Amino acid sequence: MKAGWARLAAFVAVFAMLTGTFSLVSAQATGSLTVLDWAGFDAEEFWIDFKRDNPDVDVTFEIGTSDADIFAKMMAGDQADVFHPYTGWLQYYVDEGLVEELDTSRLKNWDKVPERFKKLGEFNGKQYFVPYDWGYTSIVYRTDLAPEAGESLASLMNPEYAGHISMIDDGASAVSTSAAIHGWDVTQLTPEQMDQIKQEWVDQRELNLFYWSGEPELVEAMASGDVWVGLGWQGAYALLRAQDIPVAYADPKEGRASWVGQYGIRKGTQNLDAAYAFLDGKLAEETSRNVVEIFYYGASNQDVLDSITDPELIEILSLDDPTVLDRTRFSENTSQEQRDASAELWVDVKAS
Amino acid sequence: MTSSTAPVADAAGAAVIDRSATMRRGLQFDRNTTFWGLLIPPSAWLFCFFLVPLVLIAVISLRPDLRGGLTSPFTPSLAQYQLLTEKANYFRLLGTSIGVAFVVATAATTLAFPVSYFLAFKAGSRAGLYLALLLVPFWTSFLLRVMAWKVMLGSSGVINSLLISAGAITEPLQFLLYNRFAVIVTLIYVWIPFVTLPILAALQRIDRSLFEAAADLGATPPRRFWRITLPLALPGVLAGFFMCFIPTVGEYVTPLLVGGSAGSMYGNLIQDFFGKAGNWPLGAAMSLIMLAGTLAVVSFALKVINPRDLV
Repeated sequence: MKAGWARLAAFVAVFAMLTGTFSLVSAQATGSLTVLDWAGFDAEEFWIDFKRDNPDVDVTFEIGTSDADIFAKMMAGDQADVFHPYTGWLQYYVDEGLVEELDTSRLKNWDKVPERFKKLGEFNGKQYFVPYDWGYTSIVYRTDLAPEAGESLASLMNPEYAGHISMIDDGASAVSTSAAIHGWDVTQLTPEQMDQIKQEWVDQRELNLFYWSGEPELVEAMASGDVWVGLGWQGAYALLRAQDIPVAYADPKEGRASWVGQYGIRKGTQNLDAAYAFLDGKLAEETSRNVVEIFYYGASNQDVLDSITDPELIEILSLDDPTVLDRTRFSENTSQEQRDASAELWVDVKAS
Repeated sequence: MTSSTAPVADAAGAAVIDRSATMRRGLQFDRNTTFWGLLIPPSAWLFCFFLVPLVLIAVISLRPDLRGGLTSPFTPSLAQYQLLTEKANYFRLLGTSIGVAFVVATAATTLAFPVSYFLAFKAGSRAGLYLALLLVPFWTSFLLRVMAWKVMLGSSGVINSLLISAGAITEPLQFLLYNRFAVIVTLIYVWIPFVTLPILAALQRIDRSLFEAAADLGATPPRRFWRITLPLALPGVLAGFFMCFIPTVGEYVTPLLVGGSAGSMYGNLIQDFFGKAGNWPLGAAMSLIMLAGTLAVVSFALKVINPRDLV
């Protein structure tokens, strides 16, 4: 009798082990996954949780060089399962039917994301995107050479700094910066307002040293003292601080602008399980912490933000002042016509 | 009976002989097969990767927009070209780019000629070594070589530090970098080794006995240069000039890196429409206009400049 019980217990134990193993295996995704992402995000640190939990998935990265590039690739029928656009571009993917509607119950880490960030990936009441990284666009300035430059975004057009200004090479940023200076709604700009904005940037070109397209360009020129005032992301500020250059990151009266990186799943992907697992992994603790510590970007995982103790990081991301985020202008979802108009305006500025 | 079977046997015999001959000489094709065999692969390559993309660009330029993706059906329209007719400043920049390309090609050809001349006539047995040295910059990427010019021309760069430490200036010269001047200087540097090669090839083909004959007839060295060397090198000089001129019209990387806000060229506008602006139809239309413009300038130049009239 005793032996019988033991045999049964052993049987149950083995069964439990087998099913346990089995269920563990079935929770893992398999197959292959292609991610269309920006250079740098392909480093393992930025998808380490996914890799740890899904070692059998064969992940390949395709690199996009800009939001326009990623959008153009997806429009041209790119077969990436997961892609990484930024706010301001999300609406187009929804309109063109390129992105899968998300079932957020499949994301274990979804409740760690604050409502503010969730909303940005929601269209027509449906969730399409998962936020991962965020940051600011504002004025970076040399406190020794242009101590007053942080007061307003209009410093970018101040003749006092002629020859020492560097604007980002991006039409949408130019339009939204001007709109913020004038207090105009960037989604409701009239043709006359667009003409005025264009003229402002044509005039600004005489003061501008170069339009930067890669952050290191701006950092190098600010470190050498060629550029005193630049429109940049907080990463540039962090890199300059690390070199002990006297710089500050402005909280101008118009407020900072902000961008949020989002991950979406291509409609029609062959590996939905792996795609969901990848998105969930983006929200996980270590993957989120890495984007903060390596890129000086914000993460969408609130637990990670709350646990930051490094005063440098807190200062760079203004985490100590919750009102900064409240006053921040998140990139608005403009229409394709508006986007084309901003882009054309910027080319006109360069060609004039 | 026998007479009718004889030719058959003959033909069979000939075939046997033929086959053995082929086996003796290895694989051998007649002229026609060789011609097509050599011509088809490059033609197929050019067809797939030059002609087809060119046609695609032309097709994309007729799209009103990119809605629905690249492969979606659309009604062809000249909307992009119509839009461009209102953009006088784009055409002005195309003109500027052609001007820049002309300056760069002229300077690079002028500077490359003495290098080629030296390699062809003066370097002697060391010519191979010098040629290798000339090509050393190609071991690094184009991008790095352009970046190196930022180090040269920057406000705390090599030239400025040198002038400041020599006491020639006190403040760094700002006009060296981030303008069209920097673009031209950098492009000339990039092109000199390229342009050297066709000129060198032309100079090496010159029959040396011509110089001796000319000398025997009393021609002075300058006269020999003008009457023999230059005319015979001219095809190489023109090839080098246009090899540099044509791609420079559409150049965009160098202006992007060293041109600053005012140094943009037409190629930068095209790149913007294909890249950040995501407006491929307009970019495609602009590409075709540039292609047409460049072709027009080159064919006009070749028509007007009769190489024989030059000397």
